[in-house]
Amino acid sequence: MNALTLDVRNVTKRYGDGETAVTAVRDVSLAIQPSEIVLIMGPSGSGKTTLLSMMGALLHPTAGTIRLDGTALSDLSERQLPPIRLRQFGFIFQDFNLLSALSILENVALVAELAGSKRKAAREKATAILTELGLGARLDFLPEKLSGGEKQRVAIARALINDPALILADEPTANLDSKIGHEIMRLLRRIAKEQGRSVVIVSHDQRIRDIADRVLWLEDGRFKDVITMTTDPVCGMTVERDRAVSVERDGEAFYFCSKGCREEFLGRLRSEDMGGCRSAVLQRAGSVFAHLASGARDGHASD
Amino acid sequence: MLLARRNLTHDRVRLVLSITGVALSVMLILLLSGYLAGIYRQSATYLENAPGSVVVAQQGVRTFAGSSSFLSSDVLDSVRTTPGVAQAVPIVMQAAVLELHDRKEIASLVGYDAAQGGGPWKLAEGRTPEADHEVVVDQVLADQHGISIGSALTILDQQFTVVGLSADTSLWIGSYVFAGAEAVQTMLRAPGVWSAIFVTPSAGVSDADIVRAIAIPGIEAFPKTDKIEADRRGIARIYDAPLGLMVGIAFVVGVLVVGLVIYTATVERRREYGALKAIGMKNRTLYRLVTRQALIAAVAGGLLGVALAFGLAALLIALRPQFPIVIEPGAIATALAASLVMAVLAALAPARAIAGLAPAEVFR
Repeated sequence: MNALTLDVRNVTKRYGDGETAVTAVRDVSLAIQPSEIVLIMGPSGSGKTTLLSMMGALLHPTAGTIRLDGTALSDLSERQLPPIRLRQFGFIFQDFNLLSALSILENVALVAELAGSKRKAAREKATAILTELGLGARLDFLPEKLSGGEKQRVAIARALINDPALILADEPTANLDSKIGHEIMRLLRRIAKEQGRSVVIVSHDQRIRDIADRVLWLEDGRFKDVITMTTDPVCGMTVERDRAVSVERDGEAFYFCSKGCREEFLGRLRSEDMGGCRSAVLQRAGSVFAHLASGARDGHASD
Repeated sequence: MLLARRNLTHDRVRLVLSITGVALSVMLILLLSGYLAGIYRQSATYLENAPGSVVVAQQGVRTFAGSSSFLSSDVLDSVRTTPGVAQAVPIVMQAAVLELHDRKEIASLVGYDAAQGGGPWKLAEGRTPEADHEVVVDQVLADQHGISIGSALTILDQQFTVVGLSADTSLWIGSYVFAGAEAVQTMLRAPGVWSAIFVTPSAGVSDADIVRAIAIPGIEAFPKTDKIEADRRGIARIYDAPLGLMVGIAFVVGVLVVGLVIYTATVERRREYGALKAIGMKNRTLYRLVTRQALIAAVAGGLLGVALAFGLAALLIALRPQFPIVIEPGAIATALAASLVMAVLAALAPARAIAGLAPAEVFR
């Protein structure tokens, strides 16, 4: 596997023409570095999946370029793209999309065979990856016999079989419970870091932010300020600034996980005021805010 | 391809349905074409077994079966004295309706001279007629009506005794009954009148020479093969269109069954195929995948259909021996080829469904 860089430059995707045209992605730029895990979040209909499809060479952009290590994918014809998708990208789908008639070993080996591996070699490699992912005892099982987490691990094995430089995952935890979802995300992180692969994940799932190197917020087809995280000065919980309950005091904004925390904060301020220690409370709160994430635009994200 | 096979066998009910659909279609095609081939063969059986290679009949009589031809004794004498004629065998033939067990059976009554030929070519039982009141009856007709050697049979108000049962003389619309020529002429009140004369040319004389040489006014001579072909064309005019239509319908039903089954299976697996496209499987490979599925179903169905056709043909012939079903190797090859064409046609709609599948759809 070569470490490749995916470079998305001023990409726009528009569906339809004239008055009925819908722009799903508007002038988006983004660069994915080797071993980087990028999480793209955003509300439904924000263009996340369209962007992911274009990054995976499944859709042509209406404008802009997508380069994979210098090769302009957006300039290639549909006939030229399948070999690139097969060898350079690993796809993980929300619904797993495993082939129901094949065993999990055959599901994974098939993709290697499509890339030109001999059947025996493909099966050996698939066996090794599945075993590494903890599915060694279930090689001959049909997908229907597996749990959601196991199916997603098979999908990960399938995505890895041809040693892709980039793994593109669409809502990989959507059909999993939170424990299994976290397990899968940790697995993806380990793969990215140990094997030097880049991972781009599109998800609604707030709980998986902690595994990402970068979190991007896509809304109305554009990257907006990346979710600015802040900490509730009362309970210490990390909250999204845009969605948090806030209060302004002396020209400074404070963010809370709930109205309860805000009331407690205001109560403390009042009591400190009475005791002449208001500035000390604000100072304490300010110290908590010292590590707040800063905003980011155009895919230059914050942790 | 493993995936094609697994996709088919994963849903057993669907697999059985598609194979059965093709099998029934191929079976029907084979039975119908076998029935037509049997009729053709029956229509030619008498002429093929009659002596000589040239047929002499009244002018204008184009077919042998179902036509009335009247030749006088003078014509027979003229033919016999024609240079190049080695042998001339006359027969008299007349359609007759037999009343057997309150059922009317159509028979082709053939009057012939046992010493010259033109009578039954294969006796299953008994002997040929030696007296005017003796007849040989087709074995199938005899079996159906309990007729045996020694049974009495009334033909056109004349009493006959059955002395023999002939084999391979059954017709799809009746059967042959053989009697002495004079007996038949008497019964028809036409002594000395013949229907046809079978001519054997002398050594070194061709059929064409004989046809040219028999220049008798009101009389025509034809090579026997021409008559057989004329009879075949006559039958084709009656049967080819309806049987061809039925064969066509059977073919279309076969295509629709396989097509529908494969199309449904393809549409059901739309997401899986979309995932394969997204992963990098080429359209060409996907087309091959669905075509292989259709081919597996069609070939398995075709082979089963051939087996079923033989089985059902044997059963039909056992139950109704007068039904001629002849399944020829050429028909089997055609039916199997038809099943392959069915597969290719059946794969068109699923292939279109796959072609229209955008790989990005898999994310939706």
